[in-house]
Amino acid sequence: MVAQVSSSASAPHRYVIIGNGVAGNQAAEGLRDRDPQGQITIITNSRMLFYNRYLLPELFREHKDWRALLAHPAEHYEKRRIRVLRDCWVTSVDSRKRQVMLAHNEAISYDTLLVATGGRPYLPEELAECRRLIHPFGSYENALAVRKALPENGSVVMLGGDMIGLDLARTLLERNFRVVLVTHENSFWPHQPVGDERTKFLAILEKMGIEVVDGEAQGGVVAIEKGASGLPDRRVRFRQGGDIYGDIVMSFYGLQPLVEFMMGSGTDIERGLLVGTNLRTSDPHIYAAGDVCQIWSEKDNVYRFYYGHRNVRAMGAVAALNMTGGNEHFSTTQDEALFQNEQGHIDSPFWAYD
Amino acid sequence: MNSTDIQIALCGSAGDGTIAAGDILRNAVAALGYRVICFDVYPPEIRGFGKCISRVRITTEQTYALKRQSDLLISLDDSHAIPHAGEVRTDGAIIYESKPVGHCPEGSHMSSHILPGQIPYGIPLRELAEKATGGARSRNLVVLGVIAGLLGFSPVPFQKIIEKKFAKQGPAVVSRNQAGFQSGYDVGVNTFKLDNVFCVPQESNPAAGKVVMLSGNAAVVQGCMDAELDTFFGYPITPATTIMERLATAMPKRGRRLLQTEDEISAIAATIGAGYTGARSATATSGPGLALMAEMLGLATMAEIPCVIFVSQRGGPSTGMPTKTEQSDLNAALYGSPGDSQRIVIAPTNVEGCYRCAGKAFEMSEQYQTPVIVLLDLYLSNRYETVTLTESGPPFTLNANKPLRRLEAGESYQRYAFTEDGVSPRAVPGDSGCMHVVTGLEHNTLGRPNDSEEIHTAMSRKRHDKLLAALHHPDFTVTKRIGHSGRIKVGILAWGSTFGECLEAMFMAHAEGISCASMKVVMLSPFPVEAVTQFMDDCDQVLVPEVNYEGQFAQLLQGILARPVVRLSRVPGSPMPVELILSEIRRLAGVV
Repeated sequence: MVAQVSSSASAPHRYVIIGNGVAGNQAAEGLRDRDPQGQITIITNSRMLFYNRYLLPELFREHKDWRALLAHPAEHYEKRRIRVLRDCWVTSVDSRKRQVMLAHNEAISYDTLLVATGGRPYLPEELAECRRLIHPFGSYENALAVRKALPENGSVVMLGGDMIGLDLARTLLERNFRVVLVTHENSFWPHQPVGDERTKFLAILEKMGIEVVDGEAQGGVVAIEKGASGLPDRRVRFRQGGDIYGDIVMSFYGLQPLVEFMMGSGTDIERGLLVGTNLRTSDPHIYAAGDVCQIWSEKDNVYRFYYGHRNVRAMGAVAALNMTGGNEHFSTTQDEALFQNEQGHIDSPFWAYD
Repeated sequence: MNSTDIQIALCGSAGDGTIAAGDILRNAVAALGYRVICFDVYPPEIRGFGKCISRVRITTEQTYALKRQSDLLISLDDSHAIPHAGEVRTDGAIIYESKPVGHCPEGSHMSSHILPGQIPYGIPLRELAEKATGGARSRNLVVLGVIAGLLGFSPVPFQKIIEKKFAKQGPAVVSRNQAGFQSGYDVGVNTFKLDNVFCVPQESNPAAGKVVMLSGNAAVVQGCMDAELDTFFGYPITPATTIMERLATAMPKRGRRLLQTEDEISAIAATIGAGYTGARSATATSGPGLALMAEMLGLATMAEIPCVIFVSQRGGPSTGMPTKTEQSDLNAALYGSPGDSQRIVIAPTNVEGCYRCAGKAFEMSEQYQTPVIVLLDLYLSNRYETVTLTESGPPFTLNANKPLRRLEAGESYQRYAFTEDGVSPRAVPGDSGCMHVVTGLEHNTLGRPNDSEEIHTAMSRKRHDKLLAALHHPDFTVTKRIGHSGRIKVGILAWGSTFGECLEAMFMAHAEGISCASMKVVMLSPFPVEAVTQFMDDCDQVLVPEVNYEGQFAQLLQGILARPVVRLSRVPGSPMPVELILSEIRRLAGVV
C-alpha cells in the first residue's frame, strides 16, 4: 500500500510531466495515487493520448483504429484528473521561475517537473539529406504510412536494424514481405554484441528469413534515391559502388535522447539528462525518467541508459515516489542480453512487454 | 456510413471574420449539395470585442435544428472559444491557433482546455495567412481551407464564393484571399486525421427544384418580393434590420419604394397610409418597435386597412438583449393594442415557412382587411437553411382584394357594409363614386362616427368574425401534426422557431420507443381551436416548450381551451436545447 502525500487544499502541488510515453504515464498514475489533490499535467507534442508503441508492428497483421492502441480510454484521464496538453511543443524550461515554456508562448508553472520525453530515432549525419526518402516508424501515423506505401509482398530495406526495427522485421516476414537488413555498428541497439556473438546473431537473422547485407563491408550507405522506372521505388547506394532496391527504406539506428529544450535549464546533460538513482537531476525540482535520462551506475561508475519497457516503467514509478517525498532508488531488474529463443529466433528483453 | 450529419462551430471575436467565414462555409457546402442549417450569434457591439459564433449543421437528410454538440470547433479567438470547448463531442475536433502573437497567460490557450476525448489540431493560422497573403487578416479563410481539406470538401465552391464575395475589392484582393484559403486547404489535406468527423460526398438533385441558401430574414424578403410588395417603411432595429437592408437593395430594382422613417411610429403610420391607398405595404421591427406601433395597429384594425408587420423577437423587456433570441412578444403581438383589436398573427417555424408566411401575409391582410403580424425571432431571422424553391413560380395571389360591386344609381358606397363573411368591399382613393370616411372612431357602415351600442357591438363582431375565415385560408398551413398518429403518450405543441428543436427531440424519442407527436401552430390568431383540441384529445400529456419566461403560448392555450399542459419555458437567450425537450418527453412518458 502506498503512502499518500497531501497537497494543501489551498494550493495543490503542481506536477508537470513532459512526455506522454510509458515513463510519463506511469509516473502520472503514481503521482495521483500518492497525491490525490495534486495538479497533474502531461505535456506532449502528440495529438494522441498515451498509446502502446510496442504494438505498432501489429498494424501489419490487422488494421486497428488508433483508439484500439490507447492504454486508457479518454474517461480515465478525466476520472483520474490528469490533464493532458496535446499537440504542444516545449521550447525550454526556466528552472529559476519553475516554468515550462511552450511554442505557443504559454508558460506552464510547476512545483516539480518530470522530463520523460524519451528519444527520437537517430539518423547518421551522412543520411540527413535523404530523410524525405526514409519512412519513419515512431508513431501510429508513421506505421500507417508504411503500410500504405508497402505493396503486397513488397520489400523493405532496413538500415541499421536496432531492436525496434528487428521487432518490426519479425512481423513483416510473417506477412510475407521481404526484409533486407543493411548492417551498421548500431545494429541490435541497444544491445552491443561484438565479434563472434554479432556474427552468430546475424546468422540467426538470416535463418529467420532476413536478407543481411554487410553495410560496413560496403563502406556504408552514401545515398538513398528514387528508384528508376520499372524498379522498386527506392535505391540505396553504398560507398563501394554497390546498390540495392526496395519499395521503402526505413532507418533503425537506435534512439537519441530528446533533451534540446533542456539546454539552458541549468540541469546537467551529457547525452541524456544526468540523474542519480533517485532519478533527480542536478535541479532538486526536476526529475527525469525513461530513455531521456542517464542514470548513475555505482557498479559501472558511469552514467548509463537503461532501455526496455520494464525498465522505463519502473523509472516512472520511482520518479512518482520521489517527486512526492519518497526516497526510492532505481535498479534494473531486467536481463540485458540478446538471446536465441526456443524457436531458434533472436529474442530480446527489450521486446518484453507486460 | 452513407449519410452526413456534422456541425461546425466557428468562434471568434468581432472583427475576426467569424461570421463571414460561416457565410462562405454554408454557401459552399450548400453548393456541394448538402442540406444546411446555420445560426450566427454575435455581440451588440460592432467591432473590437464581443463573441461571435457561427454554427453550421451539414447533413444529407432533412434536419430541423442545430445540435447541442458540435463535431468541430474552430477557434479564431481562444478567449471566446474556450468556454465552448465542452460543446464538442467525444472524438470531435478542435482547430485553434498554434502560434499566437504575444505572450499567452497560463491557461489562456485552447490546448489547456481540450478534453481527453477530443482531438486537437493546432494550426499556425496566422503564419499561414501571412505567408499566403502578406497579412494575418485572412486567418478566417485559412481556417476554412483547413476545414475543407480535413473533411474532404472540394475547394472549388469555396474559391468561387470567395471570388464573388471579394469581387468588388478587385482581383488582387480576390487572389490574396483565395491564396489564404488554399494554404489552409493544403494543410488540411495533409493533416493526419484522428477525429471521426466524416462527410459523405453529396450529389445535388436538380429535379427537386432550385436549392437556395436563405436566412429567415432573407426568406421574408424573398416572400415580399414574390408577393409584389409595393412599399416598405421601416426603422432599423436588431434583429429585423436586415429585412429592410435587403429590401432596400431589391425593391428599387423593380420600381418599388422603400423609406427609412424617423421612428417606428412613422413607419407603421406610413405603412397603414400606403395600405389605405391600395398598395401592398409592410414594415419590420422588433419588440420595442412593436410597442411603439401598438396604437397605430389599433387604427388599422378599426379602419380595416391591410398592412403587414414583420416582428423579429429578441430578449426583452425594454432594450433587453438585442442580440439574443426569445419568443416573448407573443402577448404583445396578440393583444398589444387598446380595445378589442384582434388581428391575424402567424409564426413560421423554419426558413421556408418565413418565405411562405411573408407572401401569404399580404394575401390575408388584403382578403380580411386587417393587420397581419408575422412573428419571427432572432434565431429564425438569422438562421440559414437550404430551401428548395419550386420552379412553378411564386405560390401567392397577387391581388386578394374583394372585388368592388358596381353601385346602383343613387346608391351610397358603404365602406363597412355588413356582409356574410364580414368583409366589406374595399375602395381605395380614386375609385370612382366611392367616397367614404375613414376614422379611428367607431363608425357605421358609411364610416361615419357612431358610438351607439348597436353599432359598436355589430362592428366588433364583424371585425372579429371575418378573421375566422383565415383558419381555412387556401394553401396555408395553419397547424400541422408530425409524428405518431392515433393515441400517444406525449404530444408536443409548439410555435415559431422552437418547433425545429421539438421535432429533433421527437425523432430522438421515437428512436427510444416513446410514442409521441408534435404539432406546430402557425396561426396564433385567430386560434385554431378545433385542430389543437383534436390533437390534445390524442395525448396523455401535452408538453409546451417555448423560449419565454411566462409560458405565453401555454397561457394562450389554457385561456382558450382550459386544458392542462406541461410548460417548458426557458429564457437562455439561445434556442431551446433539444436534450431538454427530450428529457421532458422521457419524464412525461414515464421513461427514466
